[in-house]
Amino acid sequence: MVIIPAYNEAEAIPQVLARLREAVPDYDVVVVDDGSGDDTAAAVARAPGVALIRLPYNLGIGAAVQTGYKYALRKGYDIAVQCDADGQHPVDELSRLIEHIEADKADLIIGSRYVVDTGYAPSMSRRVGKSILSRLIDGLIGGGITDTTSGFRACNRKVIATFARHYPDDYPEAESLVILHKSGLRAAEVSVTMQPRQGGRTSIRPPHAAYYMAKVALAIFVDLFRKFTRAPEDI
Amino acid sequence: MAIYTSHRLALLVLSILLLLVVLELVRRGLLKERYALLWLATSAFGLLVGVFPMLIVKFAEWTRLQFVTVMFLAAFLFILALLLSFSIVISRLVERNRELTQEVALLANALEQPEGKGDE
Repeated sequence: MVIIPAYNEAEAIPQVLARLREAVPDYDVVVVDDGSGDDTAAAVARAPGVALIRLPYNLGIGAAVQTGYKYALRKGYDIAVQCDADGQHPVDELSRLIEHIEADKADLIIGSRYVVDTGYAPSMSRRVGKSILSRLIDGLIGGGITDTTSGFRACNRKVIATFARHYPDDYPEAESLVILHKSGLRAAEVSVTMQPRQGGRTSIRPPHAAYYMAKVALAIFVDLFRKFTRAPEDI
Repeated sequence: MAIYTSHRLALLVLSILLLLVVLELVRRGLLKERYALLWLATSAFGLLVGVFPMLIVKFAEWTRLQFVTVMFLAAFLFILALLLSFSIVISRLVERNRELTQEVALLANALEQPEGKGDE
């Protein structure tokens, strides 16, 4: 199933849902509306066959995504795909990610922006922040993952069960890789071409970048000394 | 180095007052027992020093600090402990709040669309 966290994405999400239906018609889609103030929920409700989970207030990206993983776990899905609502992620490349999971090449596959030059050009502060974070994590867990902050990923049920229990709040993708590593699960990446945003605004504003960086660095450091468990996989 | 009786009395009165306030708050159900313990320990420390001031006097001589300094240091440490415990309590509340919120959202979804169990 496909998990889409959405916060004020009424503009972009209908197109993302339409493209998903074309790209992966067999996959169920759940949108987690993270307390949006706009018509995100209404836009999702108009899309046929899309499940909608509305958080009563804005819990933040990490908690929103985790809600999707909890849903996937409870409904018994074997594969979960995570995809942004803003249209930046190339959903037609999703089946490539899924193939890797089906072939059990890894427990989590990241759709990465940096493996080859794909013409994606984020802003300076984001680029620097992400590059520091990526290096830090790659140094800690190894495996040559270049884009640790990508929110375009596919995973199997072991990862779903782990994320249902442990998922970070801010910049969750990067830290979640450390959690997987500590849980003995394998992550790998394939390169994809990112699109420009279809609408809405990025949730990460530059002045907060340093604060997030400190927070994530602390979280990752502490994670190294923690034990992680999985939620029961059987339902 | 000696301690003035009036200082002892003031310390004793303040400690007893704190003790009574905390106990009354617990009695009225405004303060949970588990969060009252650290406050009671603070008050107990004040009482202990009020009854046996030599404890602090000896400690002050041993550390070459003034009596007042030692008292402020002790108060500072108790406040620090209380603040840290608040941070812990808040963190736990945030965590539980997050889980409850997710649960409410998942339950609302289950109520609206009870059918449907997929495999991919």
